[in-house]
Parts: sequence; structure tokens; C-alpha cells
Amino acid sequence: MQQAARLLRIPRKLSRPTYRLIHNHPSLGPSNSSGRTASFGFKTVPEESKESLVKGVFDSVASKYDLMNDASSLGVHRLWKDSLVDKLKPGRKGPLRCIDVAGGTGDIALRILDHARENYADRETTVEIVDINAQMLKEGFTRFKKTMYHNTPQVSFHEANAQELPPSQFKDDSYDLYTITFGIRNCTSIPAVLSEAYRVLKPGATFACLEFSKVNNPLLSKLYDQYSFTVIPLLGTILAGDRDSYQYLVESIRKFPSQPEFAQMIRDAGFSTGGDFDGGAWTDLWGGIASIHTGVKV
Amino acid sequence: MTTASARLLKLALPLIETHGFTREALSLSVLSLPTPLAHPLPDASVTALFGQGDDARRTLVRAWLDDATHKMRADSAPMALGDILKARLKTNEPVLQHLPEAFALLASSSPVLPLDPTPVLKHAAGVANQACWIAHSDARELSWYTRRASVSAIYLAAELHQLTSPRTASAFLDSLLENASHAEKALDETTLFATYVWKSWKGIIKSSGVVF
Repeated sequence: MQQAARLLRIPRKLSRPTYRLIHNHPSLGPSNSSGRTASFGFKTVPEESKESLVKGVFDSVASKYDLMNDASSLGVHRLWKDSLVDKLKPGRKGPLRCIDVAGGTGDIALRILDHARENYADRETTVEIVDINAQMLKEGFTRFKKTMYHNTPQVSFHEANAQELPPSQFKDDSYDLYTITFGIRNCTSIPAVLSEAYRVLKPGATFACLEFSKVNNPLLSKLYDQYSFTVIPLLGTILAGDRDSYQYLVESIRKFPSQPEFAQMIRDAGFSTGGDFDGGAWTDLWGGIASIHTGVKV
Repeated sequence: MTTASARLLKLALPLIETHGFTREALSLSVLSLPTPLAHPLPDASVTALFGQGDDARRTLVRAWLDDATHKMRADSAPMALGDILKARLKTNEPVLQHLPEAFALLASSSPVLPLDPTPVLKHAAGVANQACWIAHSDARELSWYTRRASVSAIYLAAELHQLTSPRTASAFLDSLLENASHAEKALDETTLFATYVWKSWKGIIKSSGVVF
């Protein structure tokens, strides 16, 4: 029980500092020493600053994250997340050891555990929720306190960087399922995240990513752009008092690679995927507004 | 399909005999890799590579059919059409007990129609086209299509016969081919006669003063 409690403690109380994000802090070291840049929405920023800028965004949105998701997507994000978990069918062929990266508020983790329990009477599947942002993890921890999984070995929370998962805790070839939902576009280096995913997954295991993507239908694309750039930042102002953070979130979607490009990045990391078409390496949801990308470590 | 998943699909083909056109065969394919994995692929991985539910099984069925069609070309010795079709029927024998389910899977692939015969017809047409190409059929113009259509129908009938009575499939195929050649000859003669009749009537009508 004490060990379970230690794992479930809010990350800032962890005694080991190694998992905390200490690099890229503005007060440490020179900025932009490498000259490399990264996109922060439509802005271009020094690569070293992106993490702290994104951290600032999520520190700001964490407390209203679920409310804003519901308001801005009219609840549709729940359907997308249900589709992802339904596609993966965790627990169908036995318990899984899962890692949900950038899963701070615990949406996907909860769905994985519920799916395994309700459909296959599986109470052995575990999910380790990893997020770089302590505030988001705190929200997830609070959510899980209302469920039957609180204080059980089935869920644990870890503050860590998806691009550099500490090998001492996240060992090679150790997970059956890696999920990352609406988080990879916020990472500075997508190839680094994919490389870490490949490292920690067991041979034969699955990588799954649910992310906003490119809408190919021109009419739908126009309507979606209008809605994204007009309504969502406005909702951010009204509901969360933070227009800029939601402006960033909307812009970051547009900068994310298209479905075939991202599928190729997944293959470049070493994964095997289906063919380069909808229904193969990716599955478009709602015309491509969101897309589920999968890969297998073979 | 990427190279790795195509390779796994190929490795799954020999497993069809024992496991059928199932997700299990796809899952076990990784055990046949040059550096095999320790365990079969989990269900989520089969879905990720080959499709959800029965879509993965349909992928396997299509791969097997393509492989069987490809093998028809492998034997480069000139063969008569009947022998080519018999060789193709022989390819079915190791997996014969699984074929009815395979065709049912293909026929139930349409999201709209409860039963869609198009994939099965395409399969028969593909075999007929390949067989005519290998046999160096000299059909031209319209007869190119009619030849392939008749071979396609013959092969489909023979294959359906094979599912219920494998031993008599070859003899049934021979009888169909013989009847087809008689029917083709009869059709050609009928067409020729009809052409003569038409020319005659055209002449009679022209000579009675009607201008064409």
C-alpha cells in the first residue's frame, strides 16, 4: 500500500529530481546556443525555448483543460478517444502494460482501464501516465481519485520528458502499448519522441497516436479553419481567461505534419505500419480533423 | 503496405493450411521471421498492421489469392488453357476447407450491401486473364473480352464444384471447356448467319426504293 502510495504521489513530491525538467529553464545556460529553431504555433522560436513555452501554455490551461476540450470540440474529443481505445482493444488477449505519454489528465488511461475491465474482466492491465507538466498530472491524479483505480497498482503518474524518458525507470523493451494523445505536436522533436517510444516498447508491441491532422476536403477545411481561429481562442478568453494559449494550440495543429508525412516519420523510427492510405497507417476521424496513427515494433 | 508488413503477410501464407484465414495466422507470422520474435503479435498489433476485425482476414485472403495468381506465371513452360486452370485449381487443394469462409469474407466486405459478389467475380476474372495471357490466346477485339468472360465463368463454376467435390473438379473443368468450345463455335456461326441475313435484308430494302 505504501509503495502504491509512493507511485501515486503528485510528482513534485518525488524525492528523486532526475525526472523533473531542469534543462531548458530560462535561467539556465545561454538560449539558442545551437541556432536551431522550432515552431511554436505560427511563431518560430529557439529550439531550447519551446519546451518552457509549451510548459507555460499547459500550466495555464491545466485547470480548465477538460472543460475547454468539451467546449471547443463540442464533446467530439470523447468520441475520438473512444475510437482510439476501441481500435486498440486493451485486455482482449490478456493484461497489458501500457504507457500513456502526454496523458496528464488521464483521459486515455481511464478509458484503457475501463475497456479492459468492462469488456474482458481484466483487472491486471496497468497504465503509467507520463507527462512533462506537473499541473496536468495533478489534474489527472485528482480525476483518478474519484475512480476505483485510485491507490491500486493499475495506474501510476510520472513526470518525465517524452523525448528523454529516463532509462532507469522506463526500461528498454518493457511496454505492450504506447499511447500519446494530442500531445506529440507539442514536443520539440517528434523523431526523438518516436525513438523513445520504439525503445521502451516490447518487440511486437503497438504504438498509437491520436492527433489533430490535415483535413483534405477543401470545404470542410475552410469551415474548420474558420471555427478554429475564431471560436476556439474566443472560448479560451471566456472560459479560461487565456486567449494566447488557445491561439497557440490552434496554430500548432496547422504546423503538424500531414498524415503520410507523419506515417513516414513513424516508419523512420523503426516501426512497421500499414499502407499509406486512410485505414492503413492511419485512420482519419471526421474527415481528417483528427487521425489515429499506429505502428508496430517488428 | 510497407515492406515489413508485406513480408509478414508472405510469412503468414504457409500458416493458412493449419490456422485458416485468421488473425491468428497473421499473429504467428512473426515467429517465422529470420530473427523471430519471442511471442506472436498481440491483437492490437495485428489491427495496426492489417486492419481491424475481419479486415485483417480479408487482407490475408487477398494476399493468398494474389500469391496463387502469381504462381500461375512462375511455370514458364507453354501450357494449354485447360492445364493452366487445372494447375490453378490444384493450388486450392491445401487450403480447400478454408476457402468457403474466405469467399464469404470477401463477399461480405461491402459496407453497403449485405452480400457483394464483386470481389469473387474479380478473382475469377483475374485468374481467367492470367490464364489466357499464359496460354497466348489469340483472341482479338471483342473476342478478347468474350473469351475472358467465358473462361472466367468456367473457372468460377469449376472452383465452386471443387469446394463440394474436389476429386471430380478436373473432369468437370474439362467438360465445361469442351462445352464452351462448342458453344463458342455455335455462337460464331450464329453471328455469321445473322450478318448474312442482315446484308440480305439491307439489299432488299434498298432495291425497293428506300434510301439509306
